Amino acid sequence: MMTDDFDRILDECIDRINRGASLADCLSDYPKYSEKLRPLLQSMHDVQKACAFMPSADSKRAARQRFHAALDRQRQVSAPSSFLRVIPRSAVWAIIAVLVVAVMAVLVIQPVLNPLTVVPSPEGNFAFLISDEPNDIGDFESLNVTISRVVLQRAGSLKRLEFTPETETVDLTQLQGEQSQEIWRGNVTAGRYSHIYVYVSKVTGKLESTGHIVDVKLPSSKLHISMPFDVTDDAVTSFTFDITVVATGNNGRYILKPQIGESGARRG
Amino acid sequence: MNAGGRREISGMHEYETQLAGLYEEYYDKIARYVFIHIGNREEAEDIAGEVFLKALKSLKSYREQGVPMQGWLFRIAHNLTVDYLRKADRRRTVPIDSVVLVGNDNPIGTAEIHIDLERVTEAMKRLTTEQREVINLRFFGGLTSREVGGVLGKGDGAVREMQRAAIEKLRGILRIET
Repeated sequence: MMTDDFDRILDECIDRINRGASLADCLSDYPKYSEKLRPLLQSMHDVQKACAFMPSADSKRAARQRFHAALDRQRQVSAPSSFLRVIPRSAVWAIIAVLVVAVMAVLVIQPVLNPLTVVPSPEGNFAFLISDEPNDIGDFESLNVTISRVVLQRAGSLKRLEFTPETETVDLTQLQGEQSQEIWRGNVTAGRYSHIYVYVSKVTGKLESTGHIVDVKLPSSKLHISMPFDVTDDAVTSFTFDITVVATGNNGRYILKPQIGESGARRG
Repeated sequence: MNAGGRREISGMHEYETQLAGLYEEYYDKIARYVFIHIGNREEAEDIAGEVFLKALKSLKSYREQGVPMQGWLFRIAHNLTVDYLRKADRRRTVPIDSVVLVGNDNPIGTAEIHIDLERVTEAMKRLTTEQREVINLRFFGGLTSREVGGVLGKGDGAVREMQRAAIEKLRGILRIET
């Protein structure tokens, strides 16, 4: 215990001398230990004095310059770019996430959102026809419907394929009842399909009674039928999409609607 | 950049500033510490400068050490000194003529102190490696016992004990040879 106390006192005196205190000051503060402290502190003093060495000012200055030059270089390297300084890291991660999603969209989601386009072929396994269920079609001298594209959606999947009609514009007044017109034929992937979308870009109706062109509306830009049907490789599947026109009242307005009851696929 | 990133860079800048602040006080002490080991003034000055450059490059690793920065500097100094001695394969002799003595303009007194320097370095060789390192770091590096303990991986109590034993041994050697 005594040795430990003495070690502490000796240690404290060495600290004080290192900070510039005199040997006498230290000894006077510890009279009880001064006799034992004196020779040890004197030895310390002698050793330090004997080995006293001051680096040259020139060397110190040159080393200082090298150090600060290195410090400047390091700070320039470690400093974030102006872009990163302005934009928080969370935003950078958000941007990266968006880019990843964009790549995913291109590689994975894009085929779903943007259907596979199939080309027509006379020997194709699928034919698409338009017909008209006669409701108010009798009011028209002509009712031209321009179809920009047709999309088929696979059953139980988001995968879709689309085609552009070879015959884009059909006159529904010519397709009443059992009449129909094939607008596309080609090869589509065999399997079950559940949804058919007919995208209409233009409708022009001319009234029989007046010869006036009337406005025929669509609830949306497309006509949609949800109806499962199968396409096989060994037979031609013909799908007839029936469109009908109905008056919305006595205001002289008409709308186009899909007629699901008259639509459907047949094989052979 | 998020708050963590900013803190990281800010922390690095604080360490860099701290290191730069230690330069003026510790360059001399480190040079002295190295000089005691290798006995060559110019080489000691070069190594002292190299200590700060190496510390600057290694600041990231310093944060994981949990040692006061000045203690860490002496650890680097120790490693560089060991490397220097290993590579140079030199005998650890002190070139007396190259030593600049402080506060002594008397040629006779200077000669006496030159002799003392040689005796001290010879006496230091008779200490254990750890005792010698404690004396070097305490007397010439100016580190506290706790800081020395951080450098040597010892508790400050053990450092104080080694310190007292080393001084007693030095005194015994130097007194006998007087």
